[in-house]
Amino acid sequence: MYLTRRLPRLCTGTSQLLATSCGRFNSKVAASEDRIEIPNRVQRSPTDILNALASTVGRDPTAPHYKYHDDPYLIPMSNVGKRTFAMAQEAGRKAAKFIKEEHRDLFKHQEAQPSIEAFAPQMVFTEESDVNADTLQNLIRHSQITDAITVYNLMKQKGIEITNDTKQQLLELICFYNNEEPLPEEWIEERWFKANADARERNRKTWKDGELAEQLFGEIEPKTAQSYAALIRGMSKYFQAERAYALLQEATEKQFELDTQTFNAVISVSNFLKETADQRWELCRDLLQQMAHQHLRPNLSTLNALLEVVSTFGNFKFARSSALKVLAEFKQLEIEPSLGTYYYLLIIFCRERGPVSHIIVDILNEIKGREFTIQHPKDTYFFATAMDVCRNHLHDKSLAKKIDELLHTGNNYDLIGDTYKESVYYRHYFALLCQTEPIDEFMKIYDLLVPNVYIPEPGIMEEILKAVEMNGAVELMPRLWSDMVIFDHISRESLVTRTLQILVDNPAHEDIPSHQSIPDQVGKIALDIYKKIAEPEGRRPKDLQFTGKMIGDILMLLVRSGDFEKASEVFTHIDKNQHRIPGTPSEKCLQEYVDSCIENKAPTKALTCLQYVVENNMDSQPMAERINAGFTLNEVHLSKLKSLVGENFVSK
Amino acid sequence: MSLLKKCVQQLLENTNLCSQTIAATAAAFHTSPVCNRVQAGRYRVTTKRNRALTYEMANPPHYIAHRKAWNSWNTSSMLDGLRPSQTAIEDVFMRKFMTGTWHALIVSEVIIKRQHNMIRIAAIMRQAISPRKMYFLIGYTEELLSYWLQCPVTLELQTVADKKDVVFKYI
Repeated sequence: MYLTRRLPRLCTGTSQLLATSCGRFNSKVAASEDRIEIPNRVQRSPTDILNALASTVGRDPTAPHYKYHDDPYLIPMSNVGKRTFAMAQEAGRKAAKFIKEEHRDLFKHQEAQPSIEAFAPQMVFTEESDVNADTLQNLIRHSQITDAITVYNLMKQKGIEITNDTKQQLLELICFYNNEEPLPEEWIEERWFKANADARERNRKTWKDGELAEQLFGEIEPKTAQSYAALIRGMSKYFQAERAYALLQEATEKQFELDTQTFNAVISVSNFLKETADQRWELCRDLLQQMAHQHLRPNLSTLNALLEVVSTFGNFKFARSSALKVLAEFKQLEIEPSLGTYYYLLIIFCRERGPVSHIIVDILNEIKGREFTIQHPKDTYFFATAMDVCRNHLHDKSLAKKIDELLHTGNNYDLIGDTYKESVYYRHYFALLCQTEPIDEFMKIYDLLVPNVYIPEPGIMEEILKAVEMNGAVELMPRLWSDMVIFDHISRESLVTRTLQILVDNPAHEDIPSHQSIPDQVGKIALDIYKKIAEPEGRRPKDLQFTGKMIGDILMLLVRSGDFEKASEVFTHIDKNQHRIPGTPSEKCLQEYVDSCIENKAPTKALTCLQYVVENNMDSQPMAERINAGFTLNEVHLSKLKSLVGENFVSK
Repeated sequence: MSLLKKCVQQLLENTNLCSQTIAATAAAFHTSPVCNRVQAGRYRVTTKRNRALTYEMANPPHYIAHRKAWNSWNTSSMLDGLRPSQTAIEDVFMRKFMTGTWHALIVSEVIIKRQHNMIRIAAIMRQAISPRKMYFLIGYTEELLSYWLQCPVTLELQTVADKKDVVFKYI
């Protein structure tokens, strides 16, 4: 109250103040501008303030996703961890729900006011349940298909009248979900991690022929345009293309006025109806003509459905020209394309065997800096596909960065799809960057995104190692190796071999400051690899075996790091398991080992090595000479040396 | 002096008489020394001095708001606060549920914080089970408690590698 009374006075007070302060500079203008315009009240929704707050913070790449607990022990460190932790939590929630449903009598209390349905156990319908039209309506509204069907059957048994309206609603529900219970909305993680089941089911007829949907359709008398539309859309959604088309014909013959969505549904399955591109194109045109006859205005889904059909054309030139025609036509109709439209354009224009197309440049110029919301199911495919095009089709890092920028504009990240598409996106992004960016620049992005946003798969890790190899950036290896251990990549032979190769080929330069601690760390890595393979932890079976080259590299690295004791331990392992390790270490490794034996004054070990060389048919002459020159050998050693390489080595 | 003694004696006799008659009919008269010893929230010293206390346990209740904070945070006991008794009972239920569900894993007090319709439960856990199992229990606890209390419940856990990590002193 106090403030409201004060407010007008405050207003005049400020304006006076303003007027005087302005007046000091130019007193003439002040008189006309002494009123402050208070803007009209803007109506806000309850969540507006939350949205405004949320827009001030973005994803923090230094922290794990907020669905994980913020505790070192509970933060996932590998792709498997991310998946299992989130799914485990959801499994726990499912267990709780199961208990609630099993012991429904314990959860009947009503704490909240007004009561919240989601906390109460669900109704169970049996033969004896008391049902009426409202129950059915309610179930349909909550998309509980199984229960709705039970209640529907019960009502029919009991002879309760069901209105055509309700029947139509039930038909629509059943057609939409193909008579199957959908995944409840509350299981977010399951949906996020579901391994692209849609892709596997693509192009397969899953419509349930002759089941409840068609019975219901038969029961609705007289038929209406809506009932035809529901059935046609259901059939085309689950790829029962022929019958959907036949129904469409039937409806047109009976002069029912169908709607745009129904036509869109049939257009999108026209590649199942006709074999060749020409026929498909003809069918699409025919359907569009029919729409025009019925004065139906096409919309965004029509555009996307047409492009979907065009993308199945084998003939590249034909597909391209048809796509352009469609685009031009819809531009005239002033229909704004969605990301899904661009996705189809990309798969039409940028084909593996087709000529190189730069359409993505134009697309990006068109949509740069724009914020998108989901309008079409295929909108979520755009980013992964666009990054794929950047990597495999054009090999252009600046484009890739533009796409990444677009992805992080506004709420566009919502359109990344699911975990599968997200990882595909980053896989392409990383692979492209580590091939094209200088290694320092690349590591900046690596530091930013790994491990909280993205964890590289073994294949991408190999690409990164290749980039490191090319740049000889051995100082990155300790970091990358520890990452590989955390991400559980060490059972991959190719990665381990390449790591060792990089370490062997790039000895540290003492004069570079960043290389000061490298020899020490390299020795540690080599020892770590040796231990991981020779004595695997736990009950896990050995999934990685030594090869001659691998263990030779380990030996060499240990020698170089000056750890003679461990090096001789590794050599003993080589010597003992000769027949179990395929291949032999290179002569160079053994040579270095013998040199270090000389340095450490261990003639017996040097001779064992020589024996190994002789037994494995390698060139033993240089090594024998070196041993002879390096040591002052006693009788026993000398006679052994002679027995190994013969009498005449000294004379040579 | 002797008079006073006499008086007292007489008084005592009277009271004895009185108490006997009252004991026979209703309740006894308390004549033993004053007993205002408090024990709640205090731990007895053991002979071997091997009873482990956390920081929370090491500070008796009169240190609340000085050295340590409350275990339940809500506004039910303030002026015009809602549901004071229900809140207390629910808190007991939640604590029992937590210690039962996370059996032998909780190494601290269970802190219950209520804000609006939201309940946050904080505790320190031992890393005795795999993180995967922990996540299962987190999901289970949150969901079941929210069914029971009919409001969103979140767990805010921290883990320690060893039980000894939370020991403040031995008495």
